Amino acid sequence: MASLGSQSNPAVTSTLSAAAELPAADIVISPRLSWPKAFRIQGKEGLLFIAGLILLWQLLSSFSHFSGKYLFPSPLLTAQTLWASLPELLVGTVYSFLILLPSLALAISLGIVWGLIVGTTPALNRMFSPFARFASPVPPTIYIPYAIALLPTFHTAAGFIVFIGVFWPVFLNTANGAGTLPQHYRDNARILGLAKIEYLRRVVFPATLPQIFSGINVGLVFAFIMLTVAELFGASKGLGRFVQLYADYADYPRMVAGILYTGVVVWISMEVLERIKKRSLFWLK
Amino acid sequence: MSALPVSWHGEDQSRSGLDVRALQFAYGGAAVLSDIDLHVAEGEFLCLLGPSGCGKTTLLRLLAGLDLPAAGSISYNGLPIVGPSLERGVVFQNYSLFPWLTLAGNIELALSKSHPLQDATWRRAHAQDYLARVGLAGSAGQYPSLLSGGMQQRGAIARALAQGSPVLLMDEPFGALDPVNRAKLQDLLLELWASTQKTVVFVTHDVEEALYLADRVVMLGSLPGRIIQEVDVPFERPRVRRLFSSREFIELSERVDELFREDVLQRIEADFQPAMAER
Repeated sequence: MASLGSQSNPAVTSTLSAAAELPAADIVISPRLSWPKAFRIQGKEGLLFIAGLILLWQLLSSFSHFSGKYLFPSPLLTAQTLWASLPELLVGTVYSFLILLPSLALAISLGIVWGLIVGTTPALNRMFSPFARFASPVPPTIYIPYAIALLPTFHTAAGFIVFIGVFWPVFLNTANGAGTLPQHYRDNARILGLAKIEYLRRVVFPATLPQIFSGINVGLVFAFIMLTVAELFGASKGLGRFVQLYADYADYPRMVAGILYTGVVVWISMEVLERIKKRSLFWLK
Repeated sequence: MSALPVSWHGEDQSRSGLDVRALQFAYGGAAVLSDIDLHVAEGEFLCLLGPSGCGKTTLLRLLAGLDLPAAGSISYNGLPIVGPSLERGVVFQNYSLFPWLTLAGNIELALSKSHPLQDATWRRAHAQDYLARVGLAGSAGQYPSLLSGGMQQRGAIARALAQGSPVLLMDEPFGALDPVNRAKLQDLLLELWASTQKTVVFVTHDVEEALYLADRVVMLGSLPGRIIQEVDVPFERPRVRRLFSSREFIELSERVDELFREDVLQRIEADFQPAMAER
C-alpha cells in the first residue's frame, strides 16, 4: 500500500509542476509539434493497436488447453514457422503472381480502353450497358468450377476468373468517369480541334484517372480474392494452395503463417498501387 | 425564284468578320437569346456587356460553335459556323488549361493542332515564345493548379495565341481576378491586341472594363437576352489607365448605367401592364 502511494505522488507533482511552468513546458513540446500530425497519430495508435492484438493472441494461445493451443499457435511459434516456410512461400508468391499479373494487366488495360470508348460513345453505351448491368454483379467465384472444367489448364482457368473480377470494376468506373466528364474539358478539347483518339488519350483518360484508380483499387482486392479462392480449388502451388495444403495436414502454425504472409503481400500490393496513384494524380489539387 | 437566294448568299460571303442574324436560342423551353443581330468587323475589339443571366456567355458559346442556334444564322467571313474551329480561340473565366499538362504542355498541344507539320523541338521553342509574350517565360514547367488565377489566365491567353486564330473569344476572363491582376491583364490584352490585329469579342459585366477595352460595346438585357443598345467608344488609343478618372469616361459609364436602369424599368412595366389589363 505504501509503495503504491509513493508511486502515485511523483506523478501528481510532475503534473502540477508542468502546469505551473507553462513556458518551460512549451519549449519542450514545440519540437514534437513539428512532426506531421497524421503520421504521429497513425504511427503511435496504429502500432499500439497491433501490439495489443499480438498480446491478445499470445494470451489466447498460452491460456488455451491443449487442442486450443494447437489451433492457436503462439506468435513466436508462428513467426518461427513463417521464417522456416519463407522459401516455400516465396515460390508460392511467384507462382501466384504469374497468374495474377498477366490477368491484372489485361483486365486493367481492356477495362480502361473499353470503358473510355463506351463512356464517350452514346450509341455504344446504349448497346453495352444493359449487358454490363446484368453481367457485372454476378459474383466471379461462381464461374470457378465451370472455368476449371472448360479451360485446358488451371493456370488459364484461374487467370480467367481473376480477369473477370478485375475487368468489371475497372470498366464500370472508367465508363462512368468518362461519361460524366466535366463539360469544360470537352469544350477545351473541341476548341483545340482534337481528333477522337487524341481526345480519348490526352483529355478523357487523364481526366478519368481518379475514377480509373478507384476501379483498379477494387479490382486488385477482387483479384487476390479470386486468385486465392481459385487456388483452394485446384492449384499445385501458390499462396491459397499453401494455406489449403497445411490446413489439410492440420499443420496450423504453417497455415496461420501462410495467412499472415498473404496479408502482407496484399498489403504491400495495395501500398504500391497507392504510390502509383499518388504519382499519377499529382495534378489533382 | 432561284436567282434571288443565290445573290443573297453572294452578298453574305463578301461580308468579312463575324455576322449574327436573327439569332434565337432556347434552353429547356425558355428563350435565352432572342432576335440578336450583330456584326463584328475584322480587327475590331467588341465587348458584350450585360448583367448575369442576360445570355452573354451563351452568345459567346454560339460564336465559338460550342452550341448551335435554334434559329437564325451565325457566320464567319461568310461561312456558317457549324462547330468549333481553330479560327476562333476561346478563353474561359477559368478551366481553360488542362491541369495534367504543364503550362508548356498546354501550349504545345495547341501548337500541335495549329502547326501539325512541325516537330516537337519546334513546338517546345515556340511554346516558350508564346509564354514569354504573356510574361510567363519562367513558368513553362509549372502545372496550372500551382499557379495563381492571373497566371492561369495568362496561360489561357497564350494558348489562344498559339492556336493562331484570327478571332479571340473571351468569357469574363478577368472576372475572378483581384483588382491589381485584373488591371495588369487588361493592359496586357490591349497590348497584344494592338500588336496582333485580332478580332476580339470580350464578355463582361463590368461597365468600366468594357469601356476601357472596347471599340464598341453591345449592351445586352435579360429575360430574354437581347440587344438593348450599341455604344461606340470614342476614346483614343493607346489607352492608359488615367482614362478612368477623365470626365468623358465617367459620363459615358454613367450613361450606360442609366440605359441599363431604364431597360429594367421598361421590363417591369411591360410585365406589369398585362396584369393590370386583366383586372
